[in-house]
Amino acid sequence: MRAAVYADGSKAIGNRSRLPALIELAFILTESDAACSATISMSAAPEAKTSTDFFEATRQGVANAGLRRKLENSTGRHLDHVGHARAEFPAYDAERDTARRIKEETLAHLDELLIELKRKLEANGCKVFIARNAAEARNYIVKVARDIGAHKIVKGKSMTTEEIELNPALQAAGMEVVETDLGEYIVQLRHERPSHIITPAIHLSKEDIGELFSDQLSIPYTAEPEALTAAARERLRQIFLGAQMGVTGVNFAIAETGTLVLIENEGNGRLCSTLPDTSVAVMGIEKVIPRLSDLSHFLEILARTGTGQKLTTYCNFISGPRRNGELDGPRNVHVVIMDNGRSAMLADPVLREALCCLRCGACLNVCPVYRRIGGHAYNSVYPGPIGSIVSPNLFGSAAGHLPFASTLCGACRDICPVKIDIPRILLHLRWKEGLEGSALTWPRKQRRARNGLARFARMSRHPRAMRILGRLGGLLMRPFARDGYLRRMPPPFNQWTRGRDFPAPGGRHFSAEAISPLSAPDRLNSTGSGTDSSASNSSPNSNDTRAAG
Amino acid sequence: MNGLSKLIANVKTALAQRPQSASHFVSTLQPAAHGDRPAAPLPVAPAMRLTELSAQLARELGKVDGHFIGTFTPDEARAEAVSLAKRINATRIAIGAGVVLDEGPIGRALEHAGFAVTSYRHTAGDTTRIADQMAQCDLGIVEADYAIAATGTFAVTGAAGRPLSLSLLPPINLLIVHASHLVPDLAAAISALGAGTVINHRIALITGPSRTADIEKMIVVGVHGPKQLYAMIVWAEPR
Repeated sequence: MRAAVYADGSKAIGNRSRLPALIELAFILTESDAACSATISMSAAPEAKTSTDFFEATRQGVANAGLRRKLENSTGRHLDHVGHARAEFPAYDAERDTARRIKEETLAHLDELLIELKRKLEANGCKVFIARNAAEARNYIVKVARDIGAHKIVKGKSMTTEEIELNPALQAAGMEVVETDLGEYIVQLRHERPSHIITPAIHLSKEDIGELFSDQLSIPYTAEPEALTAAARERLRQIFLGAQMGVTGVNFAIAETGTLVLIENEGNGRLCSTLPDTSVAVMGIEKVIPRLSDLSHFLEILARTGTGQKLTTYCNFISGPRRNGELDGPRNVHVVIMDNGRSAMLADPVLREALCCLRCGACLNVCPVYRRIGGHAYNSVYPGPIGSIVSPNLFGSAAGHLPFASTLCGACRDICPVKIDIPRILLHLRWKEGLEGSALTWPRKQRRARNGLARFARMSRHPRAMRILGRLGGLLMRPFARDGYLRRMPPPFNQWTRGRDFPAPGGRHFSAEAISPLSAPDRLNSTGSGTDSSASNSSPNSNDTRAAG
Repeated sequence: MNGLSKLIANVKTALAQRPQSASHFVSTLQPAAHGDRPAAPLPVAPAMRLTELSAQLARELGKVDGHFIGTFTPDEARAEAVSLAKRINATRIAIGAGVVLDEGPIGRALEHAGFAVTSYRHTAGDTTRIADQMAQCDLGIVEADYAIAATGTFAVTGAAGRPLSLSLLPPINLLIVHASHLVPDLAAAISALGAGTVINHRIALITGPSRTADIEKMIVVGVHGPKQLYAMIVWAEPR
């Protein structure tokens, strides 16, 4: 029997039996149904935008030396900062484990926690809307904006609002939407999508931004980051003071107190959630955490990994609209809690682990693929390693190729503040893609390579034949070798010799060097695939770790 | 460090005169209801502990581009506030109602020194122009509920008479914290705030002036929030 007692002595949510909680969740969902039927119909239907032409984008990204230099610069600087921040915090690894444990506990009780969160938020005076998908969330926010007659809307940085394509919807309804995070402001001026989940303009140099600002804001050209920032501050301050509605994301939502926690560095999140009369916060269902006392464990690791700071400049706690006698703060606070494919991820025992993600962005900076091709090549709101997991589940088959856009080197797993085993999940997704008779279309070259590898895989099931073929090949090659290397080989091996020489076979064979462990058949099987779906270490259902008392 | 020696002197005087203030301090430092971490026993005498925490706060604040002015008695704090206002060439100053300290004397001292001071303690009713008004001020002064030594962070709550925008809209911000409200780390601060405060107030944890690294990951201080942040510790009996 679970027992949870909160610091304020309120009712323990774990005490209720599971069944009523589920029924209530169903009730909440039907409630949102009713609310949704009243919303307006959107003219722009949500289309899957993710193109399968990943390979062309990758080629262009790799060929763009300027982009690579910018990415190396920025990601390198980030990794330096993170290294320092982690080194001077001895409890880092312990806090990581604690945070991961809390996330797993949260996912195991997500239904109860969401009900509790909704109840507490409403008790604090917030209006809560449960959205099952992007369209419902979008329609609700447009409706709120219409109802209050908003014509100028300021936005804090939020990937969830990018996910639901909120800006075009609000603009289609005739409202002006201004991104206020400096990086988001820059990419909005360029009519681009952010190329990184926490550094949206990572693909631009200060010179690029200088030119952009001198064009669009009609200021004299400068590439000084200080001057550019000051120009943006001045421009946006006036917009803040005149806005009727502010939209932000949510980093953590505390079920125990009904509190939204929003972290940021620039102060734009504070302005968005303080100045306008109406504030809307959009969150995925996985952002809930059980208790107030859980928060510090996340805050201790999030900034250290995300930006290399000990804490971000601002951590904002919002528990509701302005109270009696208060002089500032929004009079209406709306909270949109959105599923949009997340419950489907929860249902998959391997994928579930990805819902632990805090969106710190570190796995992007450390990924050798991301660092070469940049975020735009992924052509998805969420790029990089974690994006390759999340995107196919949010945007369907249009992003089905992304799990293959990884070398599985494991750097993302090592830097992840909640230790998500990203390579394992990517392998799982690749396997799933194969199961469903793959809707993916590969370019001709890649298709041939994949077929070749499949042939090789079939062949390698016959070790004796492989050995004979290997010997034969070696004998055939030897007469053509010059100075120990082959300069040219017939197709399909010319794919190799076109770019580099092939060492002539000779001397001892690998198969002779390698002794029993590798050639033992059962060992081979167990290392072969990451597809066993009975995930032992990601099953959050195991033991209830909720603190008692 | 000048501030540090002043602090020790202050603490010694205060302890000698009013033993009950020391016990108040100890009770603040040992949060009883702090979740999964047992309250650490004080390794040293409270005065030494306070010295340690304030030194750490000063150091960490410096690392995030904040300025620690020092630890003062209420009388000294008034003079320091006036001298800061002169140093930054302020003309208009906004000040919010204190948490445990009385902000009145500081406001009066600033007014006396010739600054235009807006106090929000008794402001009520029409609030439409308050944001514009505050954005016009050069300096915002507000008392923080807690200061976190490990990260150089201040926990500021919004309340009647103490708008949260005071630490957001003016380009320069002065944060004041009572010496007994210094806590070692984030977990202790959240536990000290408690569920009641979190539910009933909007809260901002502030670590230095606003900053960005959105242009080539180079750090620029002063974006949408304050461009400069000053902080002082005040030693006085709580009201």
